[in-house]
Amino acid sequence: MITINNVKKAFQGNEVLKGISLTIEKNDVVAILGPSGSGKTTFLRCINFLEKADHGTITFDGVETDLNKASKKEINSIRKKTAFVFQNYNLFQNKTALENVTEGLIVARKVPKAEAEKIGKEALDKVGLSEKYDFYPSQLSGGQQQRVGIARAFAVNPEVILFDEPTSALDPELIGEVLGVMKNLAKEGTTMVVVTHEMSFAREAATKVVFMADGNIVEQGTSREFFTHPKEERTRQFLRRYLNDYDYLI
Amino acid sequence: MNLDISFAIDTLIQIIPGIPVTLGMALGALLIAVPFGFLLALVRVNQIVIVDKIAALYVSFIRGTPIVVQIFLIYSILPALLNQLVEKNNWQIDAYGVSPVIYAILIFGFNTSTHLSEIFRSALLSVPKGQKEAAYTVGLNAFQTYRRIIIPQALSVAAPSMCTASMNMLKNTSLAYMMSVMDITGRAKALAGVGYQYLEAYLDIFIMYLVLCLCIEKLFQAWEKKLLRYKVSA
Repeated sequence: MITINNVKKAFQGNEVLKGISLTIEKNDVVAILGPSGSGKTTFLRCINFLEKADHGTITFDGVETDLNKASKKEINSIRKKTAFVFQNYNLFQNKTALENVTEGLIVARKVPKAEAEKIGKEALDKVGLSEKYDFYPSQLSGGQQQRVGIARAFAVNPEVILFDEPTSALDPELIGEVLGVMKNLAKEGTTMVVVTHEMSFAREAATKVVFMADGNIVEQGTSREFFTHPKEERTRQFLRRYLNDYDYLI
Repeated sequence: MNLDISFAIDTLIQIIPGIPVTLGMALGALLIAVPFGFLLALVRVNQIVIVDKIAALYVSFIRGTPIVVQIFLIYSILPALLNQLVEKNNWQIDAYGVSPVIYAILIFGFNTSTHLSEIFRSALLSVPKGQKEAAYTVGLNAFQTYRRIIIPQALSVAAPSMCTASMNMLKNTSLAYMMSVMDITGRAKALAGVGYQYLEAYLDIFIMYLVLCLCIEKLFQAWEKKLLRYKVSA
């Protein structure tokens, strides 16, 4: 469904992405793992043009777009097919939970207001926030804000949702509620690309795991393969450090 | 020192017709200052090549010179320039007949625009980058992002300083008497000059400016409250 080819990006001469390629099929849940600074987030941001790649293409349903030279129209077309969940939620501070969810529907997609509100309420119900429609982000906890963020993402019915470390800014006890919502989405067959440090999520919910280090993809495979038979030494090293808490896995 | 109360009341009543002039100048100037100041801020925040340098220079120039000097200069240059234009093009207007109120509005408007541009600039920069990014990812274009997400949040930050700038400007309009505008200051000076009773007349407008400024303050407070309704805590 989506093929991303040879993405390169440097910040002031510092090469962050050295040619990343990735194929995402419909219903895939791709977990991108890797140490901090490996370029995971930058890669995700390049897909959605939040960062302009120096090189690379994205092919979406057979339509190829240059990640470096895309026109405004092309960028907008890809943004409308995708949704993004941020590490710091980035809910619109001046909008209520419901307005956050309906904004993209009403303004960008011209959905009639009544219909958009129906979709928005259903989305918030699904993430367990049916009591919070009219709350502003400043009145919600981090976990609640992130659940609104996820509702905002899937309410527009995107072909793929991109998650950028969705639980990294949360207290340990709030992580569970957000991961729960994400696992439900995965079960329903939502196509997702998730940059994360949550090994349990990658192991249980991902169909495919990508391991990145130093701007390269070191290894990729099914979740089972990756966690039980990692091929590369660099991967094993990474897993050893992370899986201390999960040693029952190996 | 004797206060002639009846003279004070008498002049007060005669000064009242100057209030619409004062408020008209202030309002007219704001109508120039707000959009133009916002434009200057946008140009600088988005670092539009060359134009942002020109905008910065313009702001430095206006802010770096006293408003009194700006009035002297503009009021001696502009009518003459206009006259030349009129003669050249054979327009049927009297260049020297243009009301000084118009010049006053232009001067105060462009002067205040520089203050507002700095206020808007810092307010726009105070909105976290993530707000814009989130708006783009839900499919909003740049204009929609500004109108629906960035500007409402920036205004809530800018409102208190906008209030100060507006009050300063209203008070500065008192200098319009130098162009013989008959606003409340102009009237007070004229009336005071008749019987050399300056104290009473100046006390009158002292109170008037105070009341007008208090009204502006209240208006802004109400607006601010509305703007800040989303900043409630749990």
